[in-house]
This record gives sequence, structure tokens and C-alpha cells, in this order.
Amino acid sequence: MPGITAKSGVICPAGLSETENTAGNKPRGPLIEHSGRSAGMPVKEPSHQVVPVSEPRSLYLHIPFCPSICPYCNFHKMRRNEGLVAAFLERLTEEAGALYAHFGGELDTIYFGGGTPSHLSDGELAAVIAILERTWGWPAKKETTLEADPLTFDRNRLDTFGVLGFDRLSIGVQSSQDDVLRFLGRLHRGHEGLAAIDMALEAGFNVSADLMTAVPGQDTARDLHTLAQTGVPHLSVYTLTIEPQTPFARRGVTVDQDRDADDFELAHTVLHGYGLERYEVSSHARPGFESVHNRVYWRGSTFFGLGPSAASFLPVRGAIGERRKNHVIKAWLAGEPAEVLPVTAEDYLLEMLMTGLRTRHGVELDTLAARTGLHLEERYRPVLEDAFKQGLLRRVGRRLIATEQGLLRLDGLLRRFFQQPPQD
Amino acid sequence: MRIRNFSIIAHVDHGKSTLADRILDLTETVSVRDRKDQMLDTLELERERGITIKATPIRLHYTGRDGIAYLFNLIDTPGHVDFNYEVSRALRACEGVILVVDASQGVEAQTIQNAYLAFDNGLEILPVINKIDLPNADPEGAIAELEEIVGIPADHAVKVSAKTGENVEAVLEAIIELLPEPTGDPSAPLRSLIFDAVYDSYQGVIPFIRVFDGSLRRGDVVRIISTGKAFEVDQVGFFQPEPAVSDSLGPGEVGWFTASIKDINDTQIGDTVTSAGNPCKDIIPGFKPAQPVVFSGLYPTDSEDYGRMREALEKLSLNDAAFTFEPETSEALGFGFRCGFLGLLHADIVQARLEREFGLNLIATAPAVVYEIKTTDGRIRRIQNPSELPPPDVTETISEPYVMMSVFSPEEYIGGIMKLLQDRRGVMKDMVYHGRRVELRYEVPFGEILYDFHDRLKSLSRGYASMDYDFLDYRPGSLVRLDILVNEDKVDALSVIAHRDKAYEVGRKIVDKMATVIPRQLFAVPIQAAISGKVVARATVRAFRKDVTAKCYGGDITRKRKLLEKQKKGKARMKQLGSVEVPQEAFLAVLSGDE
Ligand SMILES: Nc1nc2c(ncn2[C@@H]2O[C@H](COP(=O)(O)OP(=O)(O)OP(=O)(O)O)[C@@H](O)[C@H]2O)c(=O)[nH]1
Ligand code: SF4
Ligand SMILES: [Mg+2]
Repeated sequence: MPGITAKSGVICPAGLSETENTAGNKPRGPLIEHSGRSAGMPVKEPSHQVVPVSEPRSLYLHIPFCPSICPYCNFHKMRRNEGLVAAFLERLTEEAGALYAHFGGELDTIYFGGGTPSHLSDGELAAVIAILERTWGWPAKKETTLEADPLTFDRNRLDTFGVLGFDRLSIGVQSSQDDVLRFLGRLHRGHEGLAAIDMALEAGFNVSADLMTAVPGQDTARDLHTLAQTGVPHLSVYTLTIEPQTPFARRGVTVDQDRDADDFELAHTVLHGYGLERYEVSSHARPGFESVHNRVYWRGSTFFGLGPSAASFLPVRGAIGERRKNHVIKAWLAGEPAEVLPVTAEDYLLEMLMTGLRTRHGVELDTLAARTGLHLEERYRPVLEDAFKQGLLRRVGRRLIATEQGLLRLDGLLRRFFQQPPQD
Repeated sequence: MRIRNFSIIAHVDHGKSTLADRILDLTETVSVRDRKDQMLDTLELERERGITIKATPIRLHYTGRDGIAYLFNLIDTPGHVDFNYEVSRALRACEGVILVVDASQGVEAQTIQNAYLAFDNGLEILPVINKIDLPNADPEGAIAELEEIVGIPADHAVKVSAKTGENVEAVLEAIIELLPEPTGDPSAPLRSLIFDAVYDSYQGVIPFIRVFDGSLRRGDVVRIISTGKAFEVDQVGFFQPEPAVSDSLGPGEVGWFTASIKDINDTQIGDTVTSAGNPCKDIIPGFKPAQPVVFSGLYPTDSEDYGRMREALEKLSLNDAAFTFEPETSEALGFGFRCGFLGLLHADIVQARLEREFGLNLIATAPAVVYEIKTTDGRIRRIQNPSELPPPDVTETISEPYVMMSVFSPEEYIGGIMKLLQDRRGVMKDMVYHGRRVELRYEVPFGEILYDFHDRLKSLSRGYASMDYDFLDYRPGSLVRLDILVNEDKVDALSVIAHRDKAYEVGRKIVDKMATVIPRQLFAVPIQAAISGKVVARATVRAFRKDVTAKCYGGDITRKRKLLEKQKKGKARMKQLGSVEVPQEAFLAVLSGDE
């Protein structure tokens, strides 16, 4: 059913030749004024000193087009058609222009995610890049990543990616086993995914590959060894998660809890043997090859999000910041303003636990206190003490870090923080 | 206007509320638009569960075949034994009762109990045999049982189908003919009885009254006898069944009034209301206070709700005069109340009403009977909470309440029922045959029949057996306290008292049930049952091996935070014990059925 995504049911406005220009944002200086922008949800005046996070230096660009639709996927994605891509490019120009006019600045990292960004043609990619060139500048200073499907490039196209300015590729390999790939609804074969990695490495890219685990019928150990043996310096290892309203959920596909836990431990053991260290729940890298871009999310820095369903975290006056979530394609194309979610100091504190504790780096207690004016150790003393005692968390210098056990059960641990009323 | 005041009484489900519906239809009391089944079951809970909980009065007009216009005041009462106190109060507003008997079931335990309540109040009884439309209806058998078992004349009983409406008009005529007209002196000083009340946040206490002498109109200044407080009446009225305003209430009439009575303690159920300027000579006897027989702790899940909970209990106790409450503290659950009830269903209903009508979220501990403890120093006291049991070395005896249980059942189920009663440590006292029905009388510890006895009885007898009990006395028994430990910590609110021979079995049942209802936690949580510190049963709540979201990037952060916040809100009826989240069900594990 081309043009219809299972999840949102949004019909792509194929053939829509015109979209309204509603980008009425006038330059106003780097910080957003809060009044009137927060969709009727004013931020409570904080009683303590909060320091707005600094301006974004990272950008995520969502390109929602895929060659085929995978049955487990809950991303915002669709099949492409010419009119739709054109409309997408047009709206993207407006959105980037407005956001840049507001904030300006330069970028450390840029990430093209999706969907399948490499499903755009070279010309279309160049058009997207041109938009960024006219605004923040291209490429980013530290890392410029493209998500790429193994079937969307050959050796020649890799050169084009390089010429275009990408220095990092995130390749959706998922498995080296044909039957697993078939089960996952992926179009490529095992050897094609591996060849894609080899080529990308050979072409001199910083490469990351995605691997799925706990898939029924999968020999996870074999997959881990095979992928690590390619010499790829970064692997994202995701447990198959059955998201509501996906075809897998409707078919009643389930993930075995024990398999899930076994594979999680296996990933750590096997990859460690290849010098790939787990530095985040699902991310493994050789030292020095950790994703610079993702660190922005996990450390609570600001970032721009462009494209349908993309999220931003932007600084605002008088608060920590605000999160924005773009609408899905139809409303986004129509220029409907993003959903705005204010972030209070308390929200931020909890978000930093949510994201920071996922990483080996952990949460920097003093940085957090300086930004929020709140002291985590005092506010959540009983939960923290329990967690220390139970060996779920440890403190290393002024950082709070989840232990291996803590990482494994992070959601349960977080629930405790959310349930415990903070102590003023 | 000629008046008839009557209650409809019966065993549970014999069709009281349905018969009331037909009477409402015949008297055109409710417009066709507002008609619904069991019209007088006005509480949301009554409609959901299909049972009557509250006695509900309603005024009707009926012109008899004699051409005279009558004013009826009908009160539909609950049949379930736990709500008997409602019936006994309603009867005080009446001169007669309609005693309904299901023609397919015949006389059952509460038929007898309610009939005797009417006797004791000196009320005229009009027997009505209902459900004659059913294929297995045996109206003549029911009539014979009324005469033989209950001992009332019943050859004049009216045979009806409340469902089809067949012959219901004859009931109205019989009411006129058989039930006495109230007597009362209109010129005497006001003399009225508060038989029920509700609390309204605007109007304050709204007493439901039956006027015996004199009259009541707006502007009158009345005095509440027990507190001596005087109030000016804002409004008077009757029931439709919603309150409807009228000019006055005269002798024999049933209705309500408002007088800005804001303090709940300014009046009580059973009070006499009289004229402040011209008080009546004799006070109407009040009600015998209800004797709660089971107690359980009720605690707000959010400890900040304690104050609101106290208010809610006070207000609800106006409308449910049968439960008691007093503050209680639990190590595990914090501040709450020890509440007394007339039975398990009553406990359940009170909790549900507190939650719905007052927006509270509560945790209830397992209901228990009252024990009598004799300590080595010779002192005797009663405890309402197993955790109050003194240590074994200073305890001389623990006595438990015994009841005289009577069970009515068709002959073919008697074997199974006797076995059940024996398992519950019952001792047979009597067995009487009434035709094909047998009445069994057993002395049995009340604690043994508290939880699942009634369900078992019903399933053993395919619904045909019914039961009733009266309290006898306290008898010493070989009883022990069973403590429950969650994650190695004793949880006072979970302790139960059990017979030594059954303690192991009960402990096993509790820990197994708890282990299944407590959600998986970060760590495996041992659940243990112990007697005097010795573990007798153990089960484990399994731990999550892995509980962490695979992906958390820019767009996921808000989604994930909202999810965690939602889970927090969804924590209704969960209590945090140490680091373990324990749901309401776990506190009631002892109630779960055998097998
Ligand atoms: N077939 C038949 N069913 C009836 C008749 N009267 C009542 N019922 C049914 O019996 C069930 C119980 O009726 P209710 O009127 O709620 O009984 P009740 O005596 O008010 O019950 P409680 O107030 O809970 O004690 C309902 O399902 C009615 O529809 C009747 O005359 N014939
Ligand atoms: S390619 Fe990626 S984004 Fe597209 S459907 Fe598959 S999983 Fe989803
Ligand atoms: Mg009823």
C-alpha cells in the first residue's frame, strides 16, 4: 500500500504540488521567548536558579522514505514518490531557514536518519545538503552521519557519499543470517550486509552497523562474531522490541524474556573480545569511535530536529529548555507548528537520569546541579541509597553510573525515581 | 389523604426491586422516559452488581378500587445479610411489610430473618409469592413453607410475577386492605425519627425522617434530641426517589429536610427530631447500634490523603450507619483506619463507595474476626487486628467467636454441605426436615466461614442452599498467628490468625497467591509465612532479568518520560513496602479461594 504507513495511517499527499507557506518565524535572537509558544502549557516559574542549556550544535534530519516497510518498525516512514520528495524538500527549506534565522550558529554533528536517507537519489541528497549549506554550513565540524541501507549503495556511490561530505555511515545490517533477515522483512541477504560494511570501511568511512538480537530463530552468537570480525569499529545492538500497532504486534510475535537477557549479556561478552566496549545500553565501540552525535541526546545538550516527526531540544529564556516534536508528514508539510513540551528543572533531572544512566559515562552530578539548581543526591536520597546498597548504581568521583546489573534493569530503577516524591 | 407505609423485604434476589418497579409502573410514578430496571437501585454500585445495598424510599399515589386516593410510602430494602441493618432501620418508618418469596426457591435463610425483624417491630406482614412465571415455580410449596417454617399465615399470599407484571395490582389492593393506616396526632408537637441521612456538600446533613406526630414545614425551628442543637428548617420534602420539595410533612409521612446542619456530629441516625419551641414528651427509641463482626484496615495509598479520608469516613457513616472506624497505624502502611463491617460484602462496598464517592485510593487489609485474648496475668481483652496479638509466652488462651449456623438446602446436597461444615471445624447440633428441604444447624467458628464459605455452599448446592448465622460466644482454640514476610521484612498488615492444624495450608495459600499477584521487581523477592519466627511456607516473586528500553535517542526522551510518569499515576492501589510494590490483591491473598 504505497503512501500509507501502517502506524499513523497518514496518507501521503502524493501529487500535492503546493504547500502553504506558514513559516512565519521572524528572527528573534538565539533564545526562544516562552510566552505564547508553549501551546497553552506555560512553564512553571522555577523557584531555583536554572541555567538554560547552551545553544544547539547538533542537528538531526529525518528523511522518512524507505524502499520497503519492515514489520517491526515504529518510525515515521513511508514509501517515496516524486511529488512527495519535492514537497518534503520545499518544506525542509522553510523549516531550516526559520530555525536558522532564530538560532544561527555552527554545527558539530549532523545526522541524517530515517526512514532510509540513502534511499534518496544523489541529486536529492545534494538538495538537502544545499539547504544546510545555506544555513548552518556543511559538513559538520566533528561528525556527519548518513544512515544507509546495504542495498542502496555500491562502491561508486560510497565515493559520492564521501564527496558529498559524509564521514560516517550507519548501516542497517540487522543480521548476517538470511532467514533472520527474511523474518525481519529486510530485502538484503546476509552476505550483502557484510559486503556493505567491508566496502564502507575500505572507502575510509567511520562505520557503524546495526544488529538486531533476540529474533526468533537467530543464532545471536554467530551474528555477533560475524559482524565484529568485519572490523567495524561501532555496533548498535538492539533487542527486537515489539512496538504496539506494528504488524509484528498484530501478528502476536513475542520476544522471549530469557533470550532477550541472554543475548544482552552475550553481546557484551562477545564484542568485548573484539575490543568493542558497551558504552551505552545498545552501543558498542572501539575506544574513540563512540558516536559523537548520540552523546548529545544522552548528556542533555540541545539539538535541532528537521523533518517530519523530528524532535528538537531548544534553549528558552527562564527555563532549562523546551522539547519540540514535529508533526508527521501531512501536518508537517502543511506547516503546522511543532508540539511544544516545556522542560522544568525537575523534568530535566529525571530525563538526565533516563538518558545519562544508559551510558558508561553516567550522569555528571555537578553539571546537572549547575544547570537545574537541584541537587539530585538530596532530592532522591532514599532511592539512591537503596540503589547503591543493591549494587545498581555507583558513584565514581562526581559521576553517577549504573552498574552492569543496574543497566540491565534500568527501567525498573527509573520507575523508582519517578515514584518517589522529590525531597525539597 | 390515607397513608400506607411499607417496606419490601425478602431473601436476596427474590425480586424486591423488580416488584417495586412494577408498582411504580402501575402508579405511574415515573415517566416512561425515566424508566429503567430496578429503578430504586440508584447507586452506581447497585446497578453494576445487580444487588440492592441501600434501603430506598419512594412516595406513590394510588387510587384503590374503593375509589379512595392513597399515599403510599414504599421502601425497597436490600436482601443480602450484610445489609440487614438497612432493613431494620427502614422498618421503623413503616406499619407493614411485603414479604416476597421466590416461588422457584421457596423460603430461604433471609426470608426467615427478615420476617422475624418485621415481627419484632410489630409490623403487619403481607406475603407475596413472586416469579410465578418461571417453569419451576412452586407457589403452593412456597406458601406451605411460609406457614411451616416461618410460621405466618400465608393462604392469602398474593401470587405474582414481578417480571411480567401479572397480578401485581392485587398487591396494591392487599396493601390497602391488610396493612394498617398510620396513627398520629396532627396537632401534637412534632415527633419524628431520623432513620437515614446523606451528606450534601451544599446543604449539609439531609436527615430522612418518619413523622409520627405533629408536622414539619420550612421555617420551623427543630431540635435534635441527642445533641440538643436547634436548627431552622430550610426545606422539607419527600422522595421520588430523588428528593422533591413539598410544603410540609404531616403525621405518618416519610420525607427529608435540610437545615444547614454542617457538622456531621450534630445529629445521628436514630435521633428524634422535635419542635424546638414545643418539644414532644417522649423520645422515640433509637436504633440498636450495629455490631461489626469483621474488621479490616483501610489505608490511603497516598499518605497525604489521610485527612480527606477521615472526612470521607465521617460523611459516609451518615449514609451507612453500620460501619465503624477508628484510627490505626501500621508499620507497613502508615496511618489509616481500622474499620468494622457487618460482613465481607459490606467491607467491599464501603471501600468501593469511599473510592468512588470521595475520589480516594485505598488499600484494604484482609478482613478478620475479633479475637479474645487471655494473658498470663489473667487479663482478657479483644483484639480487632491480628498484629495486636501478644507474644506467645504471655498469651494464655486465644478465643475465637462461634456462630450458630443454619443452612437451608434441598435434601440432595446435604452430604456435601455436612462435609464442608466439618472441614470448617463445625459441630452439628440439629437437622430438621421441612418437606424436601433440610435445615442444618451447626456450631462453627466464625473465622472459618468468613471468606469463601458462602461461595462454596452455593457451588455445592447449585445455588439452592442458603445460610444464616447468629453469634454464640467466644471459645478458646488452638490458634496461632501467621506472619507474612516480604523481602525478609515482617509486614504487620498481613498477619492473620489461623488454627494450628491449618496454619501451614493457609500460609502456603497466602504466599503462593502473593507471589503471583506482586509484579516482577528488580530483584527476586522472597515471600514467607512464619509462625513464631519459624518459616512454614515460602514463595518467590521472580525478578526481571532484563528491563531496559533498547533505544533512547532524541525523539524518544519525551515519550519515555511520559511513559514513566503514566506508570506512576497508574500506581493506584499499590503500596510501596520497602523497595517492593505490592498491589491491593496481595493484601487480600488470604481470601482467595481454596484449590
Ligand atoms: N422470571 C422472573 N424473574 C424475576 C422476577 N422478579 C425478579 N426477577 C429477576 O430476579 C433477579 C433479582 O431481582 P431483583 O429485583 O434485583 O431482586 P432483589 O430482591 O431486589 O435483590 P436484592 O435487592 O439484591 O436482595 C433479577 O434478575 C430479576 O430480573 C419474576 O417475577 N420472574
Ligand atoms: S528501513 Fe528502517 S525506517 Fe524503514 S521501515 Fe525498515 S526499520 Fe523502519
Ligand atoms: Mg433489590
